[in-house]
Amino acid sequence: MAVTALLIDGIGVDFAGLKAVDNVSIAINEGELRVLLGANGAGKTTLMDLISGKTRSMRGRVFLYDTEITNWPEHAIARAGIGRKFQIPSVFRDLTVRRNLQVASCRNPSVFANLRLGFSAEARQRIDQMLAVIGLEDAAETTAAYLSHGQTQWLEMGLLMIQNAKLILLDEPTAGMTVAETRKTAELIRKMRGQHTILVVEHDMAFVREIAEKITVMHLGQVLAEGSIAAIEANPKVRAAYLGSKGIA
Amino acid sequence: MIDILFIGLSLGSILLLVSLGLAITYGSMGVINMAHGEMVMLGAYTTVLCGKWLGANLFVAIPIAFLVTAAIGFAIERVVVRRLYGRLLDTLLATWGIAILLQQAVRLEFGLSFFGIHVDGLGPGLQNVAVPTLLQGTVAVGAVALNSYRSFVILVTLVTTLATWIILNRSPVGMQVRAIIRNPHMAAACGIDVKRINSLTFAFGSGLAGIAGVMMSGFKSIFPDMGTPIAVDGFLVVVAGGLGSLSGTVMSAGMLGEINGLIATATNDTIARAVVFGVVILIILLKPKGLFSFKGR
Amino acid sequence: MLFKNHYEPLAYAIFIAAILAAPLVLDEFWLNRFSKYLVFGMLGSAVALSWGYAGILNLGQGLFFGAGAYMLAMSLKLASPTSLQQGSSTPVPDFMLWNAEPGAPTQLCCIVKGSALWLPFQSQWFGVAMGLAVPVVLATVLGSVVFAKRISGTFVSIITLALVLLVRLLIIDAQPLTNGFNGLTDLGSFHIGDFTFDPYGLESYYLIAGLLSLVLVGTRLLISTRAGLILQATRDDEVRARYLGFNVPHYKTFFFVISAAICGVAGMLYVLVSEFASPTFMDLSFSITMVVWAAVGGRASILGACIGAILINMIEAKISETKALVEVWKAIIGLIFVLVVLFLPRGLGGLAHDLCRGLWRRRVSGTSPVGKTGTISHPAA
Repeated sequence: MAVTALLIDGIGVDFAGLKAVDNVSIAINEGELRVLLGANGAGKTTLMDLISGKTRSMRGRVFLYDTEITNWPEHAIARAGIGRKFQIPSVFRDLTVRRNLQVASCRNPSVFANLRLGFSAEARQRIDQMLAVIGLEDAAETTAAYLSHGQTQWLEMGLLMIQNAKLILLDEPTAGMTVAETRKTAELIRKMRGQHTILVVEHDMAFVREIAEKITVMHLGQVLAEGSIAAIEANPKVRAAYLGSKGIA
Repeated sequence: MIDILFIGLSLGSILLLVSLGLAITYGSMGVINMAHGEMVMLGAYTTVLCGKWLGANLFVAIPIAFLVTAAIGFAIERVVVRRLYGRLLDTLLATWGIAILLQQAVRLEFGLSFFGIHVDGLGPGLQNVAVPTLLQGTVAVGAVALNSYRSFVILVTLVTTLATWIILNRSPVGMQVRAIIRNPHMAAACGIDVKRINSLTFAFGSGLAGIAGVMMSGFKSIFPDMGTPIAVDGFLVVVAGGLGSLSGTVMSAGMLGEINGLIATATNDTIARAVVFGVVILIILLKPKGLFSFKGR
Repeated sequence: MLFKNHYEPLAYAIFIAAILAAPLVLDEFWLNRFSKYLVFGMLGSAVALSWGYAGILNLGQGLFFGAGAYMLAMSLKLASPTSLQQGSSTPVPDFMLWNAEPGAPTQLCCIVKGSALWLPFQSQWFGVAMGLAVPVVLATVLGSVVFAKRISGTFVSIITLALVLLVRLLIIDAQPLTNGFNGLTDLGSFHIGDFTFDPYGLESYYLIAGLLSLVLVGTRLLISTRAGLILQATRDDEVRARYLGFNVPHYKTFFFVISAAICGVAGMLYVLVSEFASPTFMDLSFSITMVVWAAVGGRASILGACIGAILINMIEAKISETKALVEVWKAIIGLIFVLVVLFLPRGLGGLAHDLCRGLWRRRVSGTSPVGKTGTISHPAA
């Protein structure tokens, strides 16, 4: 049986009385790529906030493998092995692409462990490989502020990969991208697969079809359905929730 | 006890006059204007010059000081501050440079002292303004005799604060300012001429500081460097009250004024000031958004 | 990759060689003056470290400078001849005698309330230790609280500003213990063993020049370490750094403390050559002046900020020789400041860096083109 990488057990949080996320339970296996679908306000981003520690949960628990990480501080959750890409791409704008990756590649988070010059040959090699994976070899010495929108997104994914996150949370990785950029992003996500467990929030159904194996649909803060893309598309509850837009496509 | 509270109230109202302008510029534009204290100083010197040149008293100086400092504030916004939006800390530094320039302009009599020309009322020395006879002595409120001038300051503060509130909340321009406070980009997208409004806001805030300067001139000696500690106090009030909150500024000015007044009576002015600094530091540490800030920014 | 180009280590080497060779051309009077400027240079570098690299605009660096200065000055005050022949077994500062109640014992332990605090300062090494420890402890406490609360930007500036003014007032108010406004004057000399440091002597100069070189090279190396790189990352995007697993407050506090320690050392060295410590060290204007030096020299350049401080002070000294120009100079400083912020936000250091980079690129032409040079501040998105 496959190992469970992320286990969310009955998690919930209220915002001013509104149940933004309510009693959500999801289990994601190691190496799996899970897509999270749902309309605006369904609680997808809030769920990511709960997993990554940005929002404190009121109910329920979160496990990363065997470690309970419920309501840990954000940096501790990140250190435990969860990497997060934000909707609005966030990289270190005043540093070059290479330096961005160098920062993310630091294994030990403590100040004193990092009081040393330079990086090992192995780390340098990993950074070069990562530059190739995210297709930014030619831009390695460019200041990140001058990257295009797509390049910035890829750099951010690169940061998560080189950080060696066990679980990667991607919040709408293709938002605002051109068709060509979206295609390249899908390719990048396929490369991440296998080495990392991935949870993606995405709206673009064409993109979802391209990458998804298993889908969880959220509605009004709760899990509405879970299954393969075909099963989800045939699910009457999902159809009902999206009535008026003729299903989710 | 009432007289002590009254002194606290008058200290608080001076603080409020100084902070009102800051609350608006800091709140709406996010600009830390280090030259704000110099606007107060210029307001005070306007009073001096009004007396020496026009033979006019403090009452006449109020509108003149407002116009003079508002005009200077407008110019500062146009020439320097406008180029630095979004660079908060840089604005702080640039306006510090302007503050020094203004101080030296007064001290060197606009540079004329260099050529042996002296402007009566300027220069490095101390200046004093006579309080109009009408405001000397005390007024009786019930059984208590209150210092007339301090009462007048409180009255002016009340009127100015009320006027500011009305302009902000009941006028079309005020609505635009409030829109900018909440979200400048959205305001611009809705067709508000953010640049024009910012210039006006800055000018208005500076003008309020000018009025504060006129009021200050009745209490204290006037000299070119007087502005810096005043501006510092103003910032502490605004930050403690919460950015972008007019009522917060009013409450925090009143509170810090009373603390200052009470402690000064119990110990001395130095300790009182130190305690005020301490209280503000604690407020920022415990409630970084300020005591009375609105939610959602 | 330690340096961005090969001109940078060269610049450090030239600067250090220059300050070591300076006594060859300076007379005793100028040597003393110049050593003060080197101390200011140290302050400029400290500001660049916290402002340019950690993104913390500390408007209260004077607190750490003043703390260092007062701690050593207390020791040197006790070593002063004015504190000795007072008919007491322990030295007693003269101002305490003036402030003492009639009939109070002329002993350091109990002449005025709290004077026992001065007792350990009879040892100069205690003064030196405290001159380093007090700024470090203050900065550690302040930094851990402020940064853990995620207070940043102008709020940090306002807290530090309020704090330095608060301490300044406390020192002024504690007149019997600190001599209030007048500060600690008529200090004795610092000595190691039998050797005495003459404020006008070559040894004091080399002590300062040596320590400045150490600070420059040390700080420059520090920001090249991985921790320094991570620090710059947190300055750019605190949230991203946190989600990569870095404890951001630790990084900020660490470098904040280093900057404070440098200021503390600078405070001690300043007392050594100026022979006084005063509450003016904690004036708001002095703390902001330090920022001016760093801004003119280049906030993101350790060496640039140091040179900025030295240059501004040298020009000021030259101009101040003409009495009429003293006040004009202040106005010029104000103007320079406005212009630098508006038109040269990275200061002289940034300018030099761009020039060298241009030269360097021309020499190694053929490498891949690099994007426009990044600036520290971005206009609001």
